[in-house]
Amino acid sequence: MRATTAEAVEAPARAQASPVRMGITFFLMSESFLFGSLFWTYYYLRALTPGWPPHHPAMSLAAINTAFLFAGSCAVWAGVRSIRNGKERGLRTALLIAALLGAAFLGITLWEWFHEDFTPSTDAYGSIFFTLTGFHALHVLGGVLLMLALLGRTMRHRFSAGDFAAVEAGSMYWHFVDVIWILVFATIFIAR
Amino acid sequence: MLIRRSLGMPFWKPAPVIVAAVAAAALAVPAVFLGRRRFLSLGAVRGAIGGLCGMAGGMGAAMLVRWLMGMHAWGADAVLTAGIFTGVIAYLAALGFFGSWIRWARGVEDGGGERKPKKGWMRYLDVDTGHKVIGVQYFFAGLCFLPFGVSLQLIARTHMSDPHLGILSSMAYESVISDHGIIMMFLVALPFFTGLMNYLVPLQIGARDMAFPRLNAFSFWLVPPAGLLAACSLLAGGFDTGWTAYPPLSVSFENPGMNFILIGVYLAGLSSILTAVNVLTTVFKMRAPGLSFFRMPIFIWSSLATVGLTLLFTQFIGMAFLMVLFERLFGLAFFDPGKGGQVLLYQFLFWFYSHPAVYVFVLIGLGIISDVIPVFTRKPLFGYKGVAVSSPAIAFGGTVVFAHHMFAAGMPGWLRVPFMVTTLLVAVPTGVKVFAWVATTWMGKMRLQTPLLFVLSGIVLFLIGGLTGIPLGIVPVDLYLHATYWVVGHFHAMFFGGFLLPAMAAIFYWFPKVTGRMLDERLGKIQWLLMTVGMFLLAMPMLALGLEGMRRRIGHYDFTMHWQQLHIVTAVGGFTIFAGLVLLGINLVRSFRRGPAAGPNPWGARTLEWMVSSPPPEHNFEEIPEVFDRPHMHGVVGSVHARLSASDARNSERKRDESDDR
Repeated sequence: MRATTAEAVEAPARAQASPVRMGITFFLMSESFLFGSLFWTYYYLRALTPGWPPHHPAMSLAAINTAFLFAGSCAVWAGVRSIRNGKERGLRTALLIAALLGAAFLGITLWEWFHEDFTPSTDAYGSIFFTLTGFHALHVLGGVLLMLALLGRTMRHRFSAGDFAAVEAGSMYWHFVDVIWILVFATIFIAR
Repeated sequence: MLIRRSLGMPFWKPAPVIVAAVAAAALAVPAVFLGRRRFLSLGAVRGAIGGLCGMAGGMGAAMLVRWLMGMHAWGADAVLTAGIFTGVIAYLAALGFFGSWIRWARGVEDGGGERKPKKGWMRYLDVDTGHKVIGVQYFFAGLCFLPFGVSLQLIARTHMSDPHLGILSSMAYESVISDHGIIMMFLVALPFFTGLMNYLVPLQIGARDMAFPRLNAFSFWLVPPAGLLAACSLLAGGFDTGWTAYPPLSVSFENPGMNFILIGVYLAGLSSILTAVNVLTTVFKMRAPGLSFFRMPIFIWSSLATVGLTLLFTQFIGMAFLMVLFERLFGLAFFDPGKGGQVLLYQFLFWFYSHPAVYVFVLIGLGIISDVIPVFTRKPLFGYKGVAVSSPAIAFGGTVVFAHHMFAAGMPGWLRVPFMVTTLLVAVPTGVKVFAWVATTWMGKMRLQTPLLFVLSGIVLFLIGGLTGIPLGIVPVDLYLHATYWVVGHFHAMFFGGFLLPAMAAIFYWFPKVTGRMLDERLGKIQWLLMTVGMFLLAMPMLALGLEGMRRRIGHYDFTMHWQQLHIVTAVGGFTIFAGLVLLGINLVRSFRRGPAAGPNPWGARTLEWMVSSPPPEHNFEEIPEVFDRPHMHGVVGSVHARLSASDARNSERKRDESDDR
């Protein structure tokens, strides 16, 4: 299964030519417009509604969530570094940590959702609150699945110092989800 | 409301029977023909069976849950939507997409996942990753929905020739024209151009395939369910909102037809976003050596501009439609003023995509025109760089004009003038293109073959469409013309000139490349005449009606207004176009079976796809060719666009000798 020496020599060139990095960049640009439409909705409603926000969701747990996602991003970053140096074990640990932190984020988000004093159908604020956090949570879920998939491949020794384009793509996705969360957090809890 | 619902009902009762009969017939014929095992090995069949089972399962589960929660088991909106959701998932699973991802995650096989492609026509009904196969699949998907979309309009036009006959109820009329719009744009124009891009982009940039072949297959297989949903929305009761689906009408009107459209368009949008990722990466990463940006065919430039728009802006219509869907299903309140929502918000989100979308449909057509004209006038394209850059310029301009659809909608007054100015500015890059086309034909040695004929009448109609758009961009005039037939006439002239006629030119121009046989020129010229005349007959009376104040999307009018003659002329135009399309169908079938052999380059064109044999070999180029100059330098001594490697050139030569023998 491991790459033979000849392949390892050839590999860096192949990784460089891999279109995956560019593909995921374009995909994330598109995703940023998805969240753009939600932010547009939020700020549009905010501008036109007197007495905004009508509800005040609790901030403390969300702050912990921010820390979780940020830590996950750091872990993924460390993972990419280790596989670049050919260390599979470091990558494995990093992916596992990131997946667990993501799962914790999802757990806390779900708990919060059920303890808010409003529902999606209460008013427009409830709708955009749950849609915005919901779409972000869906992306975290996608990230967790992606981390697990990468973990599965790492277990089979599919990545090496010369061939880790998929890991890099996964890390870019994870950082993207992290950045979006910071915007979501800033929108809902700071800018209101 | 009650009356409108009851008028919608006649569609509903026979619908399940019709669907079942059509599905059974569509499956039974090839099943008998092929035998069970080969039949079940086809991707399309597995997908259909999987999708139907998934839909039944999802509907059953939803009804069970509703029953357990103490509700009425049957609620069309919720149950059907659940069924559609599970149906689409099961359909994709049956096609094997999830399986390949899981195998990838488990590291069982390395990426490729290549199965042995099937032979002959069966390849086109199976999941295949070859870009040329997918291109043809898209084309046929578009071709399947074309007669459906057109005949909807024929019914509506017949109705309008004499509304008092009552051919359609007003609900039915509104459903038919709304579905006509959705089908023609998202399931005829979009698949056709996506197919063309799939087929041509790798060939024209000298690549062997797209950057992500499996993603490419995935995007294609999202189109059939999208199309079926859009078509079935009529059977489910239709939707009377127009293609724009504005709330509160689209939200408050409890009819499952709306949900079908929302989900169907969402799927088509997802497919086009993934295609955009693919095309952009392919063009940026996989161009042949020497193919700098200013040596690319204009078709590649316009593809880039198009997919750039779909990549970013499709998310907006997707989200706007999802919000409407959520509002219908779960009672969310984005657009509900009673709960603090804003109705206009939808229009902003919707038009932020849907105005650029118009350019999505037209830009590729303009690219086709720009590439076809030099070949048939034997001259270099006038102002190549200007034409090339005007595509992204139109794309960018198109994103900052969207609110001109809302001049009459009650948006803040200070937004009007900026959007009026940007709207008029888009005319500049568009004018660059038209000017360059006309200048290219100047003193050219024109060969009036079918592709050029279509392109020429396309330019004229596009110009008329553009000129009739200017009054709509000017606020005071728009306040009068908004939502009249003027808009409909302008839009159709634009679409005929920017999409349909260039698309016909593309069919005649590239059919020899795809099949290796020429289309019949004489039939083609008759078709061109019918379609050009038909389009003028269709669009011009609409403009006149609009000036007189006839509102769009309304299935009746007052006879004292003397509008009937104009409506009849429009209907005649519609049927004339339809006759042209029938001729095209005959031509395609006849020429596919026994048209004269084409050889690699029947038109004397210079782009890379014409250097390989027709049809091109499985992997296009054995060795990647090298590019030296622009593609359109006809008559410029010593200019060579590209050179194939020796072995590829030999292959193409050999194929030509074989076809000469035939």
